[in-house]
Amino acid sequence: MITTSAWVCLLSPLVACLAIALAGNRISRRGSGYLATGAVALSFAAAVVAFVGLLGEQPDERSHLSTAWTWLGGGSYHSGLSVLVDPLSVFMMLVVSGVGSLIVAYSLGYMDGDDEERRFFAYMALFVFSMLLLVQGGNLLLLLAGWGMVGLSSYLLIGFNQRRPQAIAAAKKAFVMNAFGDATMVLALFLLVQHTGTLDFAATFERAQGLASNHWVVNLVALGLLGGAVAKSAQLPLQTWLPDAMEGPTPVSALIHAATMVTAGVYLIVRAHPLFELAPTVEDLAAGLGAATILLAGLIALVQTDVKRVIAYSTMSQIGYMFLGAGLGSYANGMFHLLTHAFFKALLFLAAGLVIHALAGEQDMRRMGGLRRLMPRTWLAFLVGALALVGVPPFSGFFSKDSILAAALDHGTYGYVLWAAGLGGALLTGLYTFRMLFLVFGGEPSPFVREHHHAHEGKEGPLSMTATVAVLAVLATVGGWIQLAGVWTPVSDWLFPVAEPLVEATGRQEAISSVLAVGLGLLGAAIAWWIYAARRGRVPRLRAVRTLLERKFYFDEAYDLVFYWPAAAISRAWGSLVEGPLVGGAGAGLGQATRGAGRLTARAQTGLLRSYALAIAASLAVLAVVFISVR
Amino acid sequence: MLLASFGNFLVWVVWIAAAFACLGSGVAVVSFTNPFYSALALIGNLGSLAVLYLLLAAEFVAAAQVLVYAGAVMVMFLFVIAYLGGQADAPWAGGPSWQTIGAVGAAAALLVEVVVAIGLKAGGRLSDEADVRRSFGGPAQIGRLFLTDHLLAFEITSVVLLAAAVGGVVLGAHARRGEWGSAAPERRRTT
Amino acid sequence: MPGPTVTWYLAVSVVLFATGVLGVLLRRSPLIVLLSLEIMLNGANLALIAFSRYQGRGDGQIFALSVMAVAASEVVVGLGLIVALARRKVALDVDKLTTLRG
Repeated sequence: MITTSAWVCLLSPLVACLAIALAGNRISRRGSGYLATGAVALSFAAAVVAFVGLLGEQPDERSHLSTAWTWLGGGSYHSGLSVLVDPLSVFMMLVVSGVGSLIVAYSLGYMDGDDEERRFFAYMALFVFSMLLLVQGGNLLLLLAGWGMVGLSSYLLIGFNQRRPQAIAAAKKAFVMNAFGDATMVLALFLLVQHTGTLDFAATFERAQGLASNHWVVNLVALGLLGGAVAKSAQLPLQTWLPDAMEGPTPVSALIHAATMVTAGVYLIVRAHPLFELAPTVEDLAAGLGAATILLAGLIALVQTDVKRVIAYSTMSQIGYMFLGAGLGSYANGMFHLLTHAFFKALLFLAAGLVIHALAGEQDMRRMGGLRRLMPRTWLAFLVGALALVGVPPFSGFFSKDSILAAALDHGTYGYVLWAAGLGGALLTGLYTFRMLFLVFGGEPSPFVREHHHAHEGKEGPLSMTATVAVLAVLATVGGWIQLAGVWTPVSDWLFPVAEPLVEATGRQEAISSVLAVGLGLLGAAIAWWIYAARRGRVPRLRAVRTLLERKFYFDEAYDLVFYWPAAAISRAWGSLVEGPLVGGAGAGLGQATRGAGRLTARAQTGLLRSYALAIAASLAVLAVVFISVR
Repeated sequence: MLLASFGNFLVWVVWIAAAFACLGSGVAVVSFTNPFYSALALIGNLGSLAVLYLLLAAEFVAAAQVLVYAGAVMVMFLFVIAYLGGQADAPWAGGPSWQTIGAVGAAAALLVEVVVAIGLKAGGRLSDEADVRRSFGGPAQIGRLFLTDHLLAFEITSVVLLAAAVGGVVLGAHARRGEWGSAAPERRRTT
Repeated sequence: MPGPTVTWYLAVSVVLFATGVLGVLLRRSPLIVLLSLEIMLNGANLALIAFSRYQGRGDGQIFALSVMAVAASEVVVGLGLIVALARRKVALDVDKLTTLRG
């Protein structure tokens, strides 16, 4: 029954996607929305069934592999179409389908009236299916398949508004950067197949232990997988696609670029942790990249003017925390933060979506202000999300984030550095989050708001939108209450059979980290209040720093220079030097040569009888000679 | 012996006369500007050829030559020339000089080559002709050969003649029906 | 055989043939070209008859008769063409009849 429900969970969104796609105009736009929502909700129900089923078992039997058939086989290598149900995958299934169903329900209201609603819901269903495939796949090959498909869904959904060139460009950027990660991952899988002969999780991890001495291979494998994770999760150095991905509709940003897809990298590291543990340098690298991203993203978020981009950078930063946790080996904490992050980040995005919806599409924070009075419930939801994000108890973020920071203390000197980075991140988080809050909601309603704000039939938004936001607000509040570090750890216990943590923080370290993190977070919030709400302070002028942050540390420009420019130059050169003359020239030249030859030989077609006769006579003369001499 | 040598001498005389007539009329055909004269020269050519055939014991062919060729074909030629009247005038006109040189060269080459070929291949053997009976070249032999050894050639030749007849009719048909393209547009008769 | 040997006849035939070739290549009136063509054919006929006599077999004469028949057919068609051309007032000059040029 457990595996059956896992299959139902996996396939339900796929069926919905296909149904919507094949039904075309026969299904109403609303209908497609309901179908998609229903399918994802069914997924969630099935995930719950699987979860309950697993709960009823002993911890060490909680692993079920169900194979439909052998999907790929070559020589001694076989890959089955298999679904793995174990604590980690069920955890992710619940997150993906649960938050997913809420967001798809939200889209019913958000996308209402859009001409392409059916396409949207088909893509959303496709995405949920892909993500579930990723987390439920029983071998690395299916994980890769899901990996690629979520990349595809992301591309389709970011570029959903096909008439907007920025959206198309952003979709391409996301896809290309993800493709880079996919490539490194595939190379890692090649190495794995070569050295272990299989890609099934259990078998690969077991045989990989035998490779422990082969440093090159294990490091390359881990590096390849990390590359994929970094690309998918928008960490340094492949982070530039995520802010641009905000071109997609808000539910897309919430689902894909906050709650689920971008967390796939973390899932990968946790799932493949045996491989990573064989390459501790790479693990440290992962943690380091995470820490760097925390700070980088936090700093950039300080100068953003688009509300969605602030939340995007915040996502980047928080995933940095998850990478930090996973890189350190504190897997359960990383996953816990993934869970709480899904709640409050989706909440923030959807609440921002309510604001954007009410302001008829405006996303620039500088034009907003004073929405607190006009949209009090949204403000409340936003506040809840913000507090959870900053990590203020009793909201969810507190319970998850601090555990990660504390775990860093168990990792030696490097761990201290990471810990410091994490604390710096906490300060920045408080700062930019409350800056956003005050800019959007604080003070008096701005002229723009007064002009453009329109309520939805007297309420702050359609029911589908407000209800889901409310649910998420509740989850963001209580979602963290399932684990209190050091005291009550059901999450860690749940994930223990799958991923044993490498680091454990003592109670004292936990306490210190928590206090410092919360304190710094509140300090950041206070500074934001000082500057933006009370207007008693001014943002320091620091022109150079400001430019650096506004240009996102010049990453886009650097990549443009390093990758785009040479590639474009080479292809231009190639085109003009080789392709033009050779290929085009060959084709055109062939035609021209033939035509020229034809023209030349056509000169013999004089139409003059006498020339023809002369030709005959002359050839006859020649032939006679030949005849004589040969005979 | 004397009679034989006289006969031989006679044959030689006849041969020389006929040969010269043949060649001369041949040159005349090619060189006259008036096509009528050319046609007449050709008739002369055909006649002298008939004499040569007779000397070669090909009596039937000679007769056929005179009757068919000179009698029918050339008459047809003369009819056409008469019909064309002035249009048929064929002066020697200039052409690209390379044509002339090439033509002369080709013809000369052919001449030389054939001579050389025959000379080389045949050597002196061409002096030994076969002995033939009196019936050689007579209608009986021709007829028998046509209907036995060369029946296919006979039949195909008749088909060719039929095709030529049809072609002649088609080409010569009046452009009344206007189906053959660039004829004068017909005038509708109002009835 | 009394009189000249076959060689002489062959010589006449070759010269006749060459004359015909010259006529075909050097004259511009289609009518004269046709006549020259006849000369060529007759030259060939003479060679055939000569060889037939040399071999003592009648096959050459049969061939010559067939050639005559074919020559007649060809003349019919050729003259038909010329008449058709003349009727359409097209100049009877082979150098000008170049519609079939490529």
